[in-house]
Amino acid sequence: MEESSELPLDAKSEFVDFQWKLGLAASCDGCRSLKYRYVAVLAVMLKVADHSGQVKTKSFEMTVPQFQNFDRQFKEIAAVIETM
Amino acid sequence: MAAGELEGGKPLNGLLNALAQDTFHGHPGITEQLLQSQLYPEVPPEEFRPFLAKMRGILKSIASADMDFNQLEAFLTAQTKKQGGITSDQAASHKTKIRESLMNQSRWNSLTETKHSPQIHTPVAIRELELGKYGQESEFLRLEFDEVKVNQILKTLSEVEESISTLISQPN
Repeated sequence: MEESSELPLDAKSEFVDFQWKLGLAASCDGCRSLKYRYVAVLAVMLKVADHSGQVKTKSFEMTVPQFQNFDRQFKEIAAVIETM
Repeated sequence: MAAGELEGGKPLNGLLNALAQDTFHGHPGITEQLLQSQLYPEVPPEEFRPFLAKMRGILKSIASADMDFNQLEAFLTAQTKKQGGITSDQAASHKTKIRESLMNQSRWNSLTETKHSPQIHTPVAIRELELGKYGQESEFLRLEFDEVKVNQILKTLSEVEESISTLISQPN
C-alpha cells in the first residue's frame, strides 16, 4: 500500500465499470458425504479509479444470496438518490 | 452558567468531533478533563459533566438507532429544538461528520450513505464495500456513485438477475 499523508478513511474511489461472469462452482461440505453441490457463483470484476485517477480492478465473488442483497441495496440507493 | 451558554460556536463543534472519535473510533486519550480544559475551560466540572453526558447520549442514540441519512437529519433537527440541545448550525455541520464516523465504526458490509457532495453539488452515494479474503484482512473500499452510475449499475444487475434465473431454471 502506498504511503499517503491523507487519512485512508477519507479516500474514496470512483466507480468506473462493473464486469461479471456467472458460473457454477462445485462445492462439497468437508467432502464427508462425497456428494458435490453445484453453487452458482458470481465473479465480479469491479473497475475503480483511485484519487490519482489510476484504474484498478477489484475481483471478488458473490453467492446468489449475496448478490440479491447487493441488488436490493442498490435499488434502495437509486430510490433515495432520485429524491435528492 | 446556564446550559444554554454551553451551546454554540467552536467549542461545541470541537466537543462533538472529539466525542465522535472517542465513542466511535475508540481513540485513547480523550478524557473528560482534556475536553473540558481545551474546549470549556471556564465551565465548572459539575456543569460540564452532565452536558458531556448529554452530548454522548445524543451520539449514542444516533448510533444505536442506526439511522439512515434522512433519519439522522430529522433527529438532529429535533435536537436543536430541545432546550440545551445542539443548535441548527451544529446539526448542519455535523451531519456528514457523524455519519462518516458511524460508517467507519460499524464495519457493515456495503454500508450506504447518500449526501450532496459539496464540491460538485450533485447527489452522490457513498458505498463502503468490505471485501474479505480468506486468511487476510478485509479490504474496505469506499466508492462514490452519482445517479447516472447508479442507474448504470442497476441495469447491469438486472442482466445478472436474468442470467441467474436462466441458470437456476436449467435442469442439472
